[in-house]
Amino acid sequence: MIAPFFESGLFSETASLAVALLIGIGFGWFLERSGMGSARKLAGQFYLRDLTVFKVMFTAIITAMLGVFWLGWAGVLDLDRIFVPETWILPQLAGGILFGIGFAISGLCPGTSCVAAATGRIDGVAVVVGMFSGVLVTGLFFTKLANFYLSTARGVFTLPQLFHVDQGVIVLAVVLLGVGGFQLAELIEKRSAGTSSE
Amino acid sequence: MIRASAVRLLAIGATSLGVLAAVAGSPRKDSSPSIDVAALARDVQTEADHVTAIELARWIRDRKPNLRIIDIRDSAEFARYHVPQAERLPIEEVVKASFNPGETIVLYSGGGAHAAQAWVLLRTRGEKNVFFLRGGVSEWLDEVMNPQAPAHLSGQARDEADSVAALSRYFGGVPRQVDSAVPIQSFKAATARVRGRGC
Amino acid sequence: MSGKPYSNPYLAGFGLGLVLLAAFVAMGRGLGASGAFASAAAAAVATAAPKSASANDYFARYLSASGAPRIDWLVVELIGVVIGGFVSAILAGRFRREIEKGPRISDSGRLRLAFLGGGVMGVGAVLARGCTSGQALTGGALLSVGSWIFIGAAFAAAYAAAPILKRAWT
Repeated sequence: MIAPFFESGLFSETASLAVALLIGIGFGWFLERSGMGSARKLAGQFYLRDLTVFKVMFTAIITAMLGVFWLGWAGVLDLDRIFVPETWILPQLAGGILFGIGFAISGLCPGTSCVAAATGRIDGVAVVVGMFSGVLVTGLFFTKLANFYLSTARGVFTLPQLFHVDQGVIVLAVVLLGVGGFQLAELIEKRSAGTSSE
Repeated sequence: MIRASAVRLLAIGATSLGVLAAVAGSPRKDSSPSIDVAALARDVQTEADHVTAIELARWIRDRKPNLRIIDIRDSAEFARYHVPQAERLPIEEVVKASFNPGETIVLYSGGGAHAAQAWVLLRTRGEKNVFFLRGGVSEWLDEVMNPQAPAHLSGQARDEADSVAALSRYFGGVPRQVDSAVPIQSFKAATARVRGRGC
Repeated sequence: MSGKPYSNPYLAGFGLGLVLLAAFVAMGRGLGASGAFASAAAAAVATAAPKSASANDYFARYLSASGAPRIDWLVVELIGVVIGGFVSAILAGRFRREIEKGPRISDSGRLRLAFLGGGVMGVGAVLARGCTSGQALTGGALLSVGSWIFIGAAFAAAYAAAPILKRAWT
């Protein structure tokens, strides 16, 4: 088991920042390539005209998920040393709702707003400034939120644990959800293109 | 178009890898760190973790399919006496062995403590069909090889005692009635040689 | 519209997934974006009012032990995002100085909505411990329950809010 390489001590903290830069470049590259730096394109998701957001995100999730499973199975990647985001049920539910509303209002998300700003979009810059302000204000009033913020903690809690099934079963379920969703998305986009005047 | 076939290839690849993942079950082959202690405790509480010697004897006699009886004592003790059809595997080998999904594993030791420990280890490794003989070889000798029943029994008790006696004879054991003329001591002496150190 | 057409979303998504996987393999962690904003906000507070920054339970974790701002992995990653996005756009002729909006809304109206939406997302990202990168992509791939709750809630809320904002896009 040699990966995660940083956890195995293969490179230093400083080198990890170089890795961060490279990873970020790849991240930004593929976001721009797929048009996720365009607020108009992203907004199309929520009017069922252009479901690129769903296709890109779910393909990425499925790709990484399968990679993690099989590299773990092959003994190459030590799954126990990957940082899995912890679960706080209510805060993440409430945070998700707020985030979705903000996403619909602005047409961009934190990552894509940076891509938009980097490609000349002024509205991208506005979202970046807005996000910064939102996080700042929330942080300043954190003590008022702290109780809610820390509520309903479940620690590292995964779907296989929730449903008491093997990880592979969930992996298959997500793949099927994605593949089925993609076919539905293609149908929806075709119908939307047929009915619009564009 | 190259792109369309590339996408189709991705879809087929993802679906295949997903199906294989479900078949593989878990990507971790060694004991999963998420030991479900609650489930193990429940099995202990409900006594779903062990079998009695009588139950084991019936399994052997009835040729229960895919039954694997594992003696975790050392070879000297095993040579002196072992449960019929048992195979010997020291505890360190047991936790490394791989078992087929359909197999029923029964672990036993001299007195049962080591077998109970091996049970916990195999369960945390993910094996589900594992049991241990709670009283170990001692229980086998007492309950199956030399079962004792009161002479004056009737009804259901009588039937059960007869059933156990028949089971015992199947294995070449000697069932006894408690208030018979033959003192129990001689049988205890006979079995003491076989019992060894226990645990 | 100028510039080359966008890539196939599935192929780009596959590439994005490989980048995410590379992060897991190299670092044992996934991607993120909102965390970098939190770092920046913590750094701002630390510069303006150092004592209150260290005393703040939320900002303190983005600062060093002495209370000084530190270079967070996510901040460097987000700098990479800017570079990657910029280079991709330039190579494809898609760099344009513009305000993306629908025909019926004014420039200033759109910018106000962009700022407001960003603010609301900021609150949401703090509560959810992440955004589409850190929670949806990373947590989603790692099958975290909270992340999938976030995905469902965010998509549902966006679809619910979208009709009210039609004027901005159509």
